[in-house]
Amino acid sequence: MMDTNAALADWLDKGGRQIGQITIAKSADGWELRHIDDVGREDLCLYTITADARQLANLDDAGAYRALKTAPNLRHGWRLVLPDVATVHSALDAFYPAMIGVQLARERGELTPVNLRDTLARQTGMYRVTQKLTDEQAQSLIADSCRCDGGCLKIILWRISEELPVNSLPAEKFTVRGQNEWPLLCHEACNILVAGARKVVKGEPKEG
Amino acid sequence: MFSKPDSALVIVGHGSTLNPDSSGPTWGHADAIAQLGAFGEVHCAFWKEEPSLRQVLHCVNKREIYVVPNFISEGYFTQTVIPRELGLDGPQTNVAGRTVKYCAPVGSHERMTDLLLKRAAAVAPGVSPKETSLFIVGHGTGLNDNSAVAAKREVERIRALGIFGEVIAAYMEEAPFIAKWDELSTQPNVVVVPFFIADGLHSYEDIPVLLGIASTSPGAASATGAGVFAQNPYRLRGRTLFYANSIGTEEGFAEVILDQVAAFDAAAA
Ligand code: SF4
Repeated sequence: MMDTNAALADWLDKGGRQIGQITIAKSADGWELRHIDDVGREDLCLYTITADARQLANLDDAGAYRALKTAPNLRHGWRLVLPDVATVHSALDAFYPAMIGVQLARERGELTPVNLRDTLARQTGMYRVTQKLTDEQAQSLIADSCRCDGGCLKIILWRISEELPVNSLPAEKFTVRGQNEWPLLCHEACNILVAGARKVVKGEPKEG
Repeated sequence: MFSKPDSALVIVGHGSTLNPDSSGPTWGHADAIAQLGAFGEVHCAFWKEEPSLRQVLHCVNKREIYVVPNFISEGYFTQTVIPRELGLDGPQTNVAGRTVKYCAPVGSHERMTDLLLKRAAAVAPGVSPKETSLFIVGHGTGLNDNSAVAAKREVERIRALGIFGEVIAAYMEEAPFIAKWDELSTQPNVVVVPFFIADGLHSYEDIPVLLGIASTSPGAASATGAGVFAQNPYRLRGRTLFYANSIGTEEGFAEVILDQVAAFDAAAA
């Protein structure tokens, strides 16, 4: 198996420059990461160690906790300068956990998407009740939670069931974009969506 | 210390969708172990955060993977959720060409007793243990796990050492209730150590409110919750009370994680 650092180095060599809301540029000192909205800004706060990435990823601009790291609310105002590909890899693992590994597994043909029905069927304890989610409720929950604008930037690889695709979001939600952008992939519904399904089934309000 | 350059370590934590500090200790232990260079790779995975248990194996390059639950006790998560999500069927499982070795959770290691003693001594420096009632506080019912059993076990071990005037297990949601700490204890000094894996809602807000050292909860835990530890000692109900961080924030947990890996190998040998 190709080492993940080598695979990332290869992608950067070929011109890979974007992952989620982060843009990566070659700098005199190695590599520089910043928010894609902050390109051209001169007033950014400089960070230089990968451990900073975990802090930067944890809170949004308003200081609220980002439980879902692929939500489109990455905070602004920083730049992170790192010496080599290994440290860039660690930083990206903090900003977008598992996204390097998941994409490489996909390239190797080892990533098996799991349909929502199978994910829910596996649940036990307080989440077992999610098995009662109707197809209609599933479509609307996904439309609400997974939407790129305000929900989550990942590309969905699963279906609701073998027979039923997700049809409540636009095609771009399911399409991997160009080579220069490292894809954020959702191969199985996350725990936040499963927890959302529980609320829908139990008739609880979405927030709180 | 052992060296396993061809193996990976995955530390599994609960994580939270509400509390930004929940996964901090687990990451801290992972960083400490990575620094030691004991493993070829060190990863974390969480039930409620990413990397998730369903993602993490895709992030590992090594073929041999030790999984250590950063949980306070055996229970629902260690026996049902983690094996199910990782696809494990026993202590050792072949998962998509990888050997996954499933170790015991940190909380069940006998070294936990030493860490509790260390934490109790650190929070109340210069205070005579003989004149101190030490409380180990667990959650109690409501959580489907054995944390209450684990807290009781630790209390018995510490009591047997005869260091403290009193050692008492108390709970948030079952008797003996921590809210009645002054009735449950007799010593002039009281040390309270939350038997939890991370600081969060329980240690920042719920327990302080039950102890009477904070007013009602302002809502979801935030980084400012840490202030409750800075105001020791508290003088109330005629006693001097010292309130410690959750035991899981103790640095020694990193070594306990390594010990659980060594224990797995010893049992398998
Ligand atoms: S289920 Fe997937 S796409 Fe939807 S919010 Fe969770 S991670 Fe994002």
